[in-house]
Amino acid sequence: MNLPVQPLLPLPDFAHIRELVRLKNPTVRLNDWPVSVRGGVQIVCVLEGKFEWMVEGQRHVLYPNDVVVLCPWQGFGSPTNTLEIGSLSWIILEPELFEVHRELFLGKWSTISENDQKLMGRLLVSHAPMVLNNLKQANDLLLRIEAEVKQAEFAYQTRVNQLLDELLVTIVRHLSQQQNQRRDFPHAFEQLEQMLRDSLDHPWTVEEMATVVGSGSTAFTEKVKAYSGFSPLNYLINIRIAEAMRQLRQTSKSLTDIALDTGFYSSQHFSTTFKKLTGYTPGHFRKKAP
Amino acid sequence: MNCIITIDIGTTKVKVSAFDEATNLIGWRQGTYPTFHPQPDYSEQDPEQIYLTVLYALKSLLNDELTKKHHPVAVVFGASMHSILPIDKHGVPLRNAVIWADNRGRDEANALKNSEEGKVIYEQTGTPLHPMSPLVKIRWFRNHTPATWFEKVYKFISIKEYIIYQLTGQLVVDQSIASSTGLFNIHSLKWDSLALDYAGIKPQHLSEPVPIDFAELKFKKEYVRLFRLSSATKVIVGASDGCFATVGAGVVTEGNATITIGSSGAMRVAGKQMIQDSQQRFFNYILTEGKYISGGPTNNGGVVFEWFVQQFGASGVHLDMEHTVKQLLIEAERVPAGAGGLLFLPYLLGERAPLWNANARGAYIGVNITHERRHFIRATVEGIIYEMFSIGKLLQQYRSIENLYINGAYATLPLFAQILSDVFGKTVYVNDKHDSASAGAALLALTHLGVFSDLEAAAQTIRSVETYQANAAHHAQYTRFAEIFDRLSYKLAEDFDALVALQG
Repeated sequence: MNLPVQPLLPLPDFAHIRELVRLKNPTVRLNDWPVSVRGGVQIVCVLEGKFEWMVEGQRHVLYPNDVVVLCPWQGFGSPTNTLEIGSLSWIILEPELFEVHRELFLGKWSTISENDQKLMGRLLVSHAPMVLNNLKQANDLLLRIEAEVKQAEFAYQTRVNQLLDELLVTIVRHLSQQQNQRRDFPHAFEQLEQMLRDSLDHPWTVEEMATVVGSGSTAFTEKVKAYSGFSPLNYLINIRIAEAMRQLRQTSKSLTDIALDTGFYSSQHFSTTFKKLTGYTPGHFRKKAP
Repeated sequence: MNCIITIDIGTTKVKVSAFDEATNLIGWRQGTYPTFHPQPDYSEQDPEQIYLTVLYALKSLLNDELTKKHHPVAVVFGASMHSILPIDKHGVPLRNAVIWADNRGRDEANALKNSEEGKVIYEQTGTPLHPMSPLVKIRWFRNHTPATWFEKVYKFISIKEYIIYQLTGQLVVDQSIASSTGLFNIHSLKWDSLALDYAGIKPQHLSEPVPIDFAELKFKKEYVRLFRLSSATKVIVGASDGCFATVGAGVVTEGNATITIGSSGAMRVAGKQMIQDSQQRFFNYILTEGKYISGGPTNNGGVVFEWFVQQFGASGVHLDMEHTVKQLLIEAERVPAGAGGLLFLPYLLGERAPLWNANARGAYIGVNITHERRHFIRATVEGIIYEMFSIGKLLQQYRSIENLYINGAYATLPLFAQILSDVFGKTVYVNDKHDSASAGAALLALTHLGVFSDLEAAAQTIRSVETYQANAAHHAQYTRFAEIFDRLSYKLAEDFDALVALQG
């Protein structure tokens, strides 16, 4: 492959940025753009032209200001290996830790709090690959990152890392706002519910849950209450106990293991909650079956 | 003061309500639970989560200050039909419950429908041969699970039976829910041997069928305590939500019909016999001995309008569904009846009655250059209602229908109600019970307690609070559109198949 790219890296200061590339393609190239998995968290912006890509098996047509966000295990490229005329820029971040259903840790360079990073990881896993239409802000941020790297002015390392954080926050916010705009709370709630089930052992807070459906926590609590009949935390406890009931009767795991797996910090806390909800202690429930 | 507690276990939520002895609603609580789709065509629910949700809602209602002033004298259960849950001999679920919306048994259903055996089974059980039917689902398990798994199944029960079992330790099924399994002979009121043979099970694989007013149930003592009930509180098995909704709308005798449009919809009539339709287009469920609730279900009710709202509602504004629905309906009211000749086929989710065509798809047809967004809004509403009318016309070949009693979140919206009246050319009544299924359950309990002499007397106490009269000119016009609607629905079948093949 001999692409007309402008790699701006490697730079020793940015071990967490695997690639930062500007690509300007003046002619149709027939065999240069196969579907491939690049690894890393990849953010691709279309600057000019029109591209037809397969993104994780789904066909998408992309126009300027469209943004594609991929997890490390996801791939994209042209279904016919063709690179159309136009220009692109992309960045591939190398998080220190990120696997499906494992926590995301970007690295020390990021000032996003540990909890927010974890939440970001969960949102990426459940929503990526994402094709965000007309997200000009992301495009502009990527251009500013490029400019900083090129100009290498005073404290540009700090500035680049700040812009990276901003880029990621912009994408996550856009994602949850899209949820909100669908006027479909049941759908957003369903996605949240799946995310809760996927990491039942995580100490979820109402704020985190609210971010997932793209609203503030006060409005979120009201909406959940009106829709589900439960407060967000009670709904979560409900899922936890339902899963614990299944494990109690279908596995031989110890009560302590079940408690920790389903998000209770101690078997004492688990037993009290279980008794309060079901009328039985976990041990009694397991023995009597039912 | 005494009160009745009704527990309605629906598809998306359980609703627990308290009624006084005059069937006035005192209070209610609800709790939702999700449906899982582990594969396309699969729809499953976690029985333990539903059970916990029932406990939570029940406990929360019974500890409410308002309810505490009343003494619960009876608890009665209603539930969605067609769910199936295999349990082992300890009563432990062997997997998640498979609910009515699950379509994995499509091939089994088609094969059975086209067989002589299927014809007899329908005549005996009254349940359409469709993937929703537990008969078909059990056959699917037989065909697609190892024999060793199938042997572990002690019983196949419904979600409602599971909840009652958890609360009482007793395994029984009411005749109403039983009659929706496709396995129950609605003439002899016993499990049907031909249907059991087809499913590959024996009567002992199913619970004991009991009449809907069966009250020999007792809550376990833990729950009597938890719910602050007395051991004298009657626990009544109850019926299906469809049968209860008909009772709660005041319809238990021939001559009238109920129309429900919530997310999906149905039109129902009551009668002394099942409707023997040679094309098997109607369901026939048992209310009580010699009383059948018959009718046709549609997939495409409010859910279709909500789809429209999500795609084409006012953009960029963060408004909730309810508000946007109202806004769009105001726009639709500004368009004359018939939507300027724009016609909509609402088959976004395939269709059950009367087409029974899973491949049916939606269409706007007759679009011309003068049509605006508001015409599309109105056409969408009218299309949903023409579909109901096509069920109604078929029902009227078997039953005379004087008046229509409507319920459900969408049917009772004023524009829907008026168009229903105009399309059918009949007077439409809306009663003061927002939740007919729960009201129906309360009426059964009150009848059992002797407050009413029978269900008919009980149903007569349902009062209408709103009435819609048909506009004759609109009716004449709608009748012509409805004819085109029916023709297109059948005529397009071949093209629906071709499009579905392309939709993959």
